[in-house]
Amino acid sequence: MRIDMELEAYLRPPDAPMPLYPAKVITLVTGGKMVVRQVFREDVPKLLPAVRPTLDIPRDYYDVVGARLYAELLAWQRYRYRDVFCIIGQVDGLLVGIVNSRMYSPQVGISLHTLAIERGLRVGAHLFAAKMEHHIEYLGQDEVLITAESPIGFRRWMIEYGLELREGQHELGGAAPYGLTREMYFDAKHRLVAGQRPVPPDLMEVAEREIIVASEQDIIEKILGARREIP
Amino acid sequence: MKPVVMAGAGMIPFERRDDDTLIDMLAEAGLRAMDDAGLGDQPVDAVYVGNMASGLFNHQVSVASALVDKLSLYPAAAERIENGPASGGSAIKHGYQAIASGMADVVLVVGGEKMREVIGPRATDVVACMAQPEAEYIYGVSLPALAGMFARLYMKAYGITPEHLAQVAIKNHANGLLNPYAHIRARVTLEGILTHPDSKVGNPIVADPLRLYDCCPVSDGAAAVLLTTPEIAKKLSAKPAITVAGIGQATDTHALHERADPTDLKAVTIAAQKAFEMAGCKPADVDVAELHDAFTILEIAESEHAGFFKKGEGAKALAAGETQIGGKLPINPSGGLKARGHPVGATGVAQAVELVWQLRGEAGERQVKNAQTGFSLNFGGFGNNVVALVLRREK
Amino acid sequence: MITAYKCKSCGQIMYPYHYRCINCGGREFESFVPSTKAKLLTYTVIEQLPWGFDERGRVLGVVEFSNKVRAMGLIDIDADTEEINIGMKLTATWEPVRDTYGEKIYGLVFRPA
Ligand SMILES: CC(C)(COP(=O)(O)OP(=O)(O)OC[C@H]1O[C@@H](n2cnc3c(N)ncnc32)[C@H](O)[C@@H]1OP(=O)(O)O)[C@@H](O)C(=O)NCCC(=O)NCCS
Ligand SMILES: [Zn+2]
Repeated sequence: MRIDMELEAYLRPPDAPMPLYPAKVITLVTGGKMVVRQVFREDVPKLLPAVRPTLDIPRDYYDVVGARLYAELLAWQRYRYRDVFCIIGQVDGLLVGIVNSRMYSPQVGISLHTLAIERGLRVGAHLFAAKMEHHIEYLGQDEVLITAESPIGFRRWMIEYGLELREGQHELGGAAPYGLTREMYFDAKHRLVAGQRPVPPDLMEVAEREIIVASEQDIIEKILGARREIP
Repeated sequence: MKPVVMAGAGMIPFERRDDDTLIDMLAEAGLRAMDDAGLGDQPVDAVYVGNMASGLFNHQVSVASALVDKLSLYPAAAERIENGPASGGSAIKHGYQAIASGMADVVLVVGGEKMREVIGPRATDVVACMAQPEAEYIYGVSLPALAGMFARLYMKAYGITPEHLAQVAIKNHANGLLNPYAHIRARVTLEGILTHPDSKVGNPIVADPLRLYDCCPVSDGAAAVLLTTPEIAKKLSAKPAITVAGIGQATDTHALHERADPTDLKAVTIAAQKAFEMAGCKPADVDVAELHDAFTILEIAESEHAGFFKKGEGAKALAAGETQIGGKLPINPSGGLKARGHPVGATGVAQAVELVWQLRGEAGERQVKNAQTGFSLNFGGFGNNVVALVLRREK
Repeated sequence: MITAYKCKSCGQIMYPYHYRCINCGGREFESFVPSTKAKLLTYTVIEQLPWGFDERGRVLGVVEFSNKVRAMGLIDIDADTEEINIGMKLTATWEPVRDTYGEKIYGLVFRPA
């Protein structure tokens, strides 16, 4: 489909300049090395197949988070979502989690979604922390607004980061927004933000070579826990 | 007293089981034990259900009657036995007594708990309800917190290091990977949970000095054993009879601070002694042990209090690999509470199920070679009501 | 403040109340209030609190008062910035330790002496 660039120019949001998120590597409890790095518009088609299976998983609101993330990724790819960034986690190339977020203004960030495909290894918590790190440390923002679909994740973040209730609504239109300020971030950083930079070249090379996506069945089993039939 | 054997054993995988009710879980485990024993259509005289808190977790009580109904075992007698996290061990004891006394010939003992019906902090609260209400609970104490206060003292007194605690977790998670019934299925490494700087985040403090990988998870699950007399067991199936050789139980003060020496788990020592005395054997005769590692420190402390090692030697034996599968005394080949999970009321029965499999030689990849005598310890409250069990394969 | 009990036949000190002495089974006790001076026997910093507490880093400890009563209580210290040591001297007060739907529940609170 050809795009009428003249019309398109009215619709495409202008993108604010955004410094890049420097990749890091986190050692998981298994000893596995998770490369955490920023991905871009052109990577979206590689991420979508990992999100799609979650649309049918009601547990912990994976379906709602997955459907929204899917839509946000598409909108971003096709220039209908402004000032978005996306960070992924990969272990040996395999995609284990995706987070996205955006700048509402130069000062305020909006945390969008956190999708952990590998569970039980704190992948979600590490990636959520990485996105806070990007907002505060690299984009230099003063505050990030946060809400969550799942009560479990939300309560944890609220207490672990000491978030404060904010007036008004979060742009996702869900539960009340909570704010993470620069000060709160730096208070919590030593407990919640892991990882080393730079990523050793061999690990980075594996991560960048290919974003490996587990099979649909594997993704469902990772999220729901495999039903083990034992005779 | 008449001799009692475990003729059947079975359990369902421990995990988060959103789709099953507590009664479904109990029924499934119960059927597995009945089928394992080859019970067929023979009647069950009594059913004991080990369960801590169905009222709080699931808003359902009288679960033993509900189980009898689900399995259509009427008119069997039925009771729920509650002894906190040692409810399973206590339920086995009651089943034993029913047969040993001659009041019953066939008893089904099922332990189960469905804890994940409530969110994590609520589960922590339900579990904390076992603490002393006015002197402990009101302060916001959790079980990990009681264990943390205990660990701080015990580690100092006996030179136990964070490395030792991590070794318990590493061993039990490795064992758990060999157990298809285990809840947590991850191989953790010393680097990942202790030595790498990222471990501070990946393995966060739960109740200092205890971290996530020092604590058991919160699980759903059920396990069951079928108890009967040796004569009946022989008629039912050709499987080796596993004798309930000894049971011991002991209590201690409710509040941790009222123990003259808070590092002394007196109830563990006494329960183990009683079980060994009844079985007519000693700790050195045990080939495989399932201990209550709700917290890593407990595996070490219990291994000493139960008499397997002198105080201060448990951690050394662990570090030397003596407690691994293939070591001198394998402890928690099932993965223990750390990896198999800890649906509180189910645990004591799951320990017995593991021992039955081990003693029969049916434990697959995690089989302890030629195990003949097994020991389990189910730790209720924070050590204020402990049940110990000795099982034996007859020659 | 809490009330502690001393067994009239063997001198055993108890808190909380038992109907029979934990040492001799005696049933007569002299009740008394612990001093305000205490030392810390053990403690923990709780990061994952039960439902009902929207906080982290709560410090609980077991203390021994100068008149030998032992009890658990809240240690009012910021564990992220202040030091806590076994054996440290503490002063006890009686203050709200938890809020249950607006209802304040009182308990022992200790601060460095
Ligand atoms: C330590 C603790 C607070 C951690 O809870 P949490 O981080 O909120 O755990 P979550 O519910 O978010 O679990 C998410 C995943 O993390 C993993 N996990 C949770 N607890 C774990 C633990 N202790 N060890 C290893 N992995 C664990 C699991 O894979 C879990 O996946 P699941 O949902 O499929 O089970 C909780 O496990 C606990 O309270 N344990 C002690 C229970 C207790 O006291 N029992 C009674 C003792 S007598
Ligand atoms: Zn007395």
